Amino acid sequence: MNENRRQILEMLSAGQVNADEAERLISAVEKDPPPSNGSASSPKAKAKYLRVVVESEEDGRDHGPVKVNVRVPMQLLRAGVKLAGLIPAQARDQVNAAMREHGMAFDLSQIRPENLEELVDQLNDLSVDVDVDDADKAKSKVKVKVFCE
Amino acid sequence: MIPLLAVVHVRNKRGPGLHLWVPLFLLWLLLAPAILLLSPLILVACLAGRVDPLRALSVIWQICAGLTNTYLEVSHPGVSVLIRVV
Repeated sequence: MNENRRQILEMLSAGQVNADEAERLISAVEKDPPPSNGSASSPKAKAKYLRVVVESEEDGRDHGPVKVNVRVPMQLLRAGVKLAGLIPAQARDQVNAAMREHGMAFDLSQIRPENLEELVDQLNDLSVDVDVDDADKAKSKVKVKVFCE
Repeated sequence: MIPLLAVVHVRNKRGPGLHLWVPLFLLWLLLAPAILLLSPLILVACLAGRVDPLRALSVIWQICAGLTNTYLEVSHPGVSVLIRVV
């Protein structure tokens, strides 16, 4: 007998719930079993793809909505991160300097595949709403969604 | 596994669309002897750049293999483009 079922029966015996409620609780517990020990440390399956969806809702006269849907395999991203480790030191310094010039204080040598995994773990479902208001263009809204699947 | 096929699909409301199947496996077959011939040069370049050639080869292979299942779709009321790597 599992722990949840035991607790429900104890609640029933203590008179905290009636028989109908206990039955409903037991069926709910059976429908939604607790995660096993193996999956407790990783609550969701490992992401296979990074998906970026861009949707624009334009109010323009001759423009309609533009949709961009990109699915990038995580394997490609991981290989890309490994590629950063292969950049020769001289070239890496130049890249770092160029990025610093553009306001990104970023060291390419510090990128590790573990960093990508951490980012993916945190990247549950990121949604960014962008309002575009150009003078020569009609006002439009752009929704950018980034998530792993 | 490295990608074997790329599908390019262009739909145009005003004109004819385009449905292209690009056999990437043929590209790999053509590239294989070229890479073999260029391998001494690649080895020298790796040594000059102080990069482990085997590691470089492994990463390049992983990038090629990682391209499989890449999907890109851009759709506009007038035209839509779909690229799928299989």
